[in-house]
Amino acid sequence: MDSGEGQAGIGANLASIIEGHPGDAIALIEDDVRITYGELRARVVGWRARLASLGVTRGSRVVLAAGNEVAFVEAALATLGLGAVAAPINPYSPAPEAQRKVASVSPDLVVIGDVAARLREPDTFDVPVLYASSDGVPESAGTEAPGIVDTAPGDVAFLLSTSGVSGAAKIAMLTHQGMGWVQQSLCGDGPQQLRADDTTLAVLPVAHILGLNVALLATLRAGACAVLQRRFDSEQSLALIAEHGITMVIGAPPMWHQWAVGAGADDAMASVRLARSGAAALRPATADRLQTRFGINVVQGYGLTETSSVVTTGRGVDAPATSAGRPLADIALVVVDDDGVPVDVGDVGEVVVRTPGAFAGYLDDPESTAMVLTDDGWLWTGDLGVVDDSGFLHLVDRVKDIVIVSGFNVYPAEVEEVLMEFPGVRAAVVVGRAHGVTGETVVAHIAGEVDTDELDEWMRSQLSTYKCPTAYHLVDEIPTTSAGKALRRELRA
Amino acid sequence: MTSEVPFRFERAPGLPGSDAASRVFLGLGRPLTRILWKLEVTGMEHVPAEGPAIICPNHLSFCDSVFVPASLPRRSWAIGKAEYMDSLSTKYLFPALGMIPVDRSGGKKSAAALDAAADVLDAGHLFMIYPEGTRSRDGDLHKGRTGAARLAMRCDAPIIPVGHQGTLDVQPPGQLRMSPFKTVSVNIGAPMRVSDFGRPGDPRVYRTMIDAVMFEIARLSGQTYVNTYAGSKAEAQTEVATLPTPPSQEVAVAPTKPPGRMSRPSPLVDVTAADSAVSG
Repeated sequence: MDSGEGQAGIGANLASIIEGHPGDAIALIEDDVRITYGELRARVVGWRARLASLGVTRGSRVVLAAGNEVAFVEAALATLGLGAVAAPINPYSPAPEAQRKVASVSPDLVVIGDVAARLREPDTFDVPVLYASSDGVPESAGTEAPGIVDTAPGDVAFLLSTSGVSGAAKIAMLTHQGMGWVQQSLCGDGPQQLRADDTTLAVLPVAHILGLNVALLATLRAGACAVLQRRFDSEQSLALIAEHGITMVIGAPPMWHQWAVGAGADDAMASVRLARSGAAALRPATADRLQTRFGINVVQGYGLTETSSVVTTGRGVDAPATSAGRPLADIALVVVDDDGVPVDVGDVGEVVVRTPGAFAGYLDDPESTAMVLTDDGWLWTGDLGVVDDSGFLHLVDRVKDIVIVSGFNVYPAEVEEVLMEFPGVRAAVVVGRAHGVTGETVVAHIAGEVDTDELDEWMRSQLSTYKCPTAYHLVDEIPTTSAGKALRRELRA
Repeated sequence: MTSEVPFRFERAPGLPGSDAASRVFLGLGRPLTRILWKLEVTGMEHVPAEGPAIICPNHLSFCDSVFVPASLPRRSWAIGKAEYMDSLSTKYLFPALGMIPVDRSGGKKSAAALDAAADVLDAGHLFMIYPEGTRSRDGDLHKGRTGAARLAMRCDAPIIPVGHQGTLDVQPPGQLRMSPFKTVSVNIGAPMRVSDFGRPGDPRVYRTMIDAVMFEIARLSGQTYVNTYAGSKAEAQTEVATLPTPPSQEVAVAPTKPPGRMSRPSPLVDVTAADSAVSG
């Protein structure tokens, strides 16, 4: 993309998304702190000066061990403005985990936010660190702030860890162009678009693609206001939504579940006009409960870190409750079989997409990149789905989680859904185990108080025999990642 | 098990084979089938006395289209190539056997086939469809196409899985005539309803249901299941009574598969003995 696209164009530096908005419009709210776009721009200039004085320049890498706090926003925008690459990590990580993440990125600087209390011990990292606070901009010792540098289409803006639920965690390289394209797809004048008069609840972690690119950056691109909530607390969220008249709420299904059943006023979401769920499938029962309690229709979407977030969305269309919606304009999506041949409409296959939001590959890992991103621009998502006659995508499961019993595909999500319906089951995860006769067999790990004989009888009344678990393991808790996804790898062991 | 199949010749105005000649063909043909071959049928009680149902058999031999209908207590219909109506040797016999000619040369052939099938079911009759779409060349039971499940949803009709053995001996591939005096066994399974496989309107129901149907067919036929389609799509379209496949997805350029990419990790190789926590 050349410079003819203009400042807000897809090829522009993402740091410029806060330019052009009215100076007195509120950009960020964190507790009692309110920061206008004018103030934010000035503070980011100060941050650029400080980072430049520490040697950050085009191509440098800056780890952001900060959370949903003003300092994160400022440090990220300043890093991008200098042409450097920002690598957000979970600020609540224990030091050893954070050290591994930092080492995998080999940064020139680590910025440590207020929330990363556990990482503030001296000598935690063997690279220069900068302690940041939302109270003010770090001193820049008189260095003059460099301007926002131009970026080329393939220039990397963010390094973001993918979940690593199965297999080693990878670091996705996300570009200014790809991230910006998704933001632009979400902003605009339409009734389902983010507008300058919106206020967003930014509670999804900013180290997660949905929290970073949708809740935070798309909001800023729209000139809207982001209300930062450091850690998820259902009741506090509802209070924030009511207090600030929040219009856009985006959450993951566990959050929506808490909002549906947790404490708080039933009219707390009266101001919400855009309710979005992503990162995993929202259970229909939860959606129904939210509709009943708050009168809101939660729109589901589908996306990946590798696509800079959104691929499909149910916004503005009458999507079936079980669907993740349709692809954004300019995204091609096809469902293919094992050989890469498109399946019949309505059949299950792997979701393959071609999107302007595609990432540039995994950091220092061309082999893994080649396994998902081909030269012709198609991204193999590893997700199984069905596209119905109306073009709506319905997700089935992850390709790698399939259990093959006597040649038949068993999708763990389907079995888990039935397990969860049994009284007393709090959580359930299904994995495959080698079996001498059937190749593999289904094994269920259950958290809850249940009689496994009764549970087994119930399962056999609900599912074909080959899908029924042949073993039930009762556990205290299902091991999960920080994002709440089950660690299947540990259960397979 | 019975060799005596009570039979009801349903009048079906508007469908092929309703004429007096067909009645004579069937009246003579069905007893003749039992004289020339030993036909063993189980599960006949699973076929409803009236109302629509989708008969889903495995497909090994051309003569499956003779023995499966002959095992049912009611007439059944199926889709066949329009070209059969051009040949004197088939233009009377096949409609009598319930073949609905569908012109497969046009662009909307699959929609036309589905509509023809729906007409049969909506009129309350049995419709037979091979879920594999074509004959299995290797004897294994292959992945089912979703069309039968789509029909089940559209017409609110149950699917009746059928597994048979012996038809390959009667008429192996390439043999034009059917060898007499052999045994064919046809096992009819319990009806399966689409509402048991998911919420209405959820397209995931189609694959879930047809996989369950194939699992039942494998039990009834004793075949090994393999999760790949039988034959090629080109072969499937030249078969009698093939499954109508829904329209293909429109893709200007199909994606290339990354070289070396596995669909999923290979199954584990270590064989685990029966688990101590196994129940049921």
